[in-house]
Amino acid sequence: MEMLERRRFGLARFRTLSPAGPGADPQQRAEENPGRMLSRPEAAPKPRRKRRFSRLTLSGKVGATLLAFYVGVTILSFFWTPYDPTMPGAGMPYEAPSLAFPLGTDRLGTDILSMLMMGTRYDLGICLAAVFIAFSIGTILGTIAGYFGGTVDTVIMRLIEIVQAFPGLLFAMLIVQAAGPGVVNVIAVLSFVGMPDYLRLARAEIRSRREWQFAEAARLVGNLWFGVAFKHLLPNSMGPLLAFTSLNAAFSVLIIGSLGFLGLGLSPDSPEWGNMIARGQDGVMTGQWWVSLFPGIAVLGMTAAFYMLGDAIADITDPRRRR
Amino acid sequence: MSDVILEIEGYSGAFRGRESGEMEPVLFDVSYRLKPKAITAVVGETGSGKSLMALSVLGLQPPTFRRTAGSIRFKGEEILGLDDRALRRIRGRRISMVFQDARAALNPVFTVGDQLADTDRLHSGRSRHAAMAKAIEALRRVQIPEPERRARQYPHEYSGGMAQRAMIAMAALICEPELLIMDEPTTGLDVTTQAEIMELIVDLAKSRGLTVCLITHDLGVVAETCDEVIVMNKGRVVETGATEQIFTAPAHAYTRRLLAASQLGEEGA
Repeated sequence: MEMLERRRFGLARFRTLSPAGPGADPQQRAEENPGRMLSRPEAAPKPRRKRRFSRLTLSGKVGATLLAFYVGVTILSFFWTPYDPTMPGAGMPYEAPSLAFPLGTDRLGTDILSMLMMGTRYDLGICLAAVFIAFSIGTILGTIAGYFGGTVDTVIMRLIEIVQAFPGLLFAMLIVQAAGPGVVNVIAVLSFVGMPDYLRLARAEIRSRREWQFAEAARLVGNLWFGVAFKHLLPNSMGPLLAFTSLNAAFSVLIIGSLGFLGLGLSPDSPEWGNMIARGQDGVMTGQWWVSLFPGIAVLGMTAAFYMLGDAIADITDPRRRR
Repeated sequence: MSDVILEIEGYSGAFRGRESGEMEPVLFDVSYRLKPKAITAVVGETGSGKSLMALSVLGLQPPTFRRTAGSIRFKGEEILGLDDRALRRIRGRRISMVFQDARAALNPVFTVGDQLADTDRLHSGRSRHAAMAKAIEALRRVQIPEPERRARQYPHEYSGGMAQRAMIAMAALICEPELLIMDEPTTGLDVTTQAEIMELIVDLAKSRGLTVCLITHDLGVVAETCDEVIVMNKGRVVETGATEQIFTAPAHAYTRRLLAASQLGEEGA
């Protein structure tokens, strides 16, 4: 009975967290579980909660470190950059990477490292803001739809399907085109495009747990629907939701970059990474590879950081998977 | 009215078929009464409607179930058709329930102590700290060893018997109800644990003046612990009476068959 229960939980976890990672590896899972079943709490007085970072998987550690690095750079850029990132002519045009200009200069002689540092503000800031908004709205609506079902669910889901009928990037491009460039607009568009996925995920998670006994038990001891849905059911769905958050963040970084590259998102002279890649295009043909390459690496790094963090987050938020 | 805490009268209901939409009746004119401060057993085979009836008392029947007739009165007050707000006042505080699988009834992402304390705060408005103290006290009362440490653990770290104790602590000691419904609380536990749990239930019922409605198919347990017995079969109440009477002089053929079957089982064990 107990074993069945555990196996059910294990499978449910496995199913919801398919993005490959050490935690989702069936082999490791099989090795993990029997051990945990034997180590009854009576037997092993295990040390109380280790610090969060050391509980991360290796890829989680790399992701967290990378992300911390980006955050650090963002903060640093407010106080110090090697040159003024908005000032052309810090060096000669198209200067190759050197000690004076570690990542070279662009067509106007602006220092690329300084621009990259300042660009972090745009890419990371917009991404986090958009993800936060999409997560909040999507999760709340999804929880309501999943909990009540019926008409509420139908109305919300039909509206969401309309939004989802368009591919994300295309839709974002259309709206930005219509609304005009600007940080606020890009944030709004990204949260709008990302929100349906959170909604669907939260709805599915809540729906599958709504009839579980602990939800019934929570109702039974006198919780109102709000308490049952948000205090008891939602925390159980946090793992998959947070794991998806980081995937969504990675996707958002890519969209921000794409919009910038197409000259749609922000004003074309802002040092956003997509903008920078676009401006370096001419250089690539004539041998000035550094102008486009480094912002490209910056986008890649941030995307990778979010991806790697995703699986690790799922591990931490699930008490059964804590080590 | 004073000698009846819960009165079910002529309760009938049916399941609506998923595709056909046809009504399939499952409860037929169920009537029984629970006497206050007594332990009453509802016995019957699987599918006899005993759990369904009990869930209906708390308005927790499955969504496909439709009541077709009957009334349920708690201390003389009709509780069917009450709105959410009124139901909430009854659920937990006045009627509370222990489920069969306690581990599924505890929320996997919160520590057991947190859940007990949260439930307490729903009703009492105590401070977080005081509620936790009460939760630990409740765990101690149901004989969970090292309650301070156990309160910080998650449900998956509890064994089945431990989880059932925690559940009883929540339903009986934290909610402090007048009527406690237990839906097969010892099914799925081993025999010694079963005996311990039943002892605990009887002890709590006697010391707190709690009315207990015990849903079970374990007649051995019933004979040892219960005051009154209600026998159900195929959605009908076939016989009610004092435990002694049911066991020594069963009136209905089904009751006799049930007794015969269980005695075979017990002699073998």
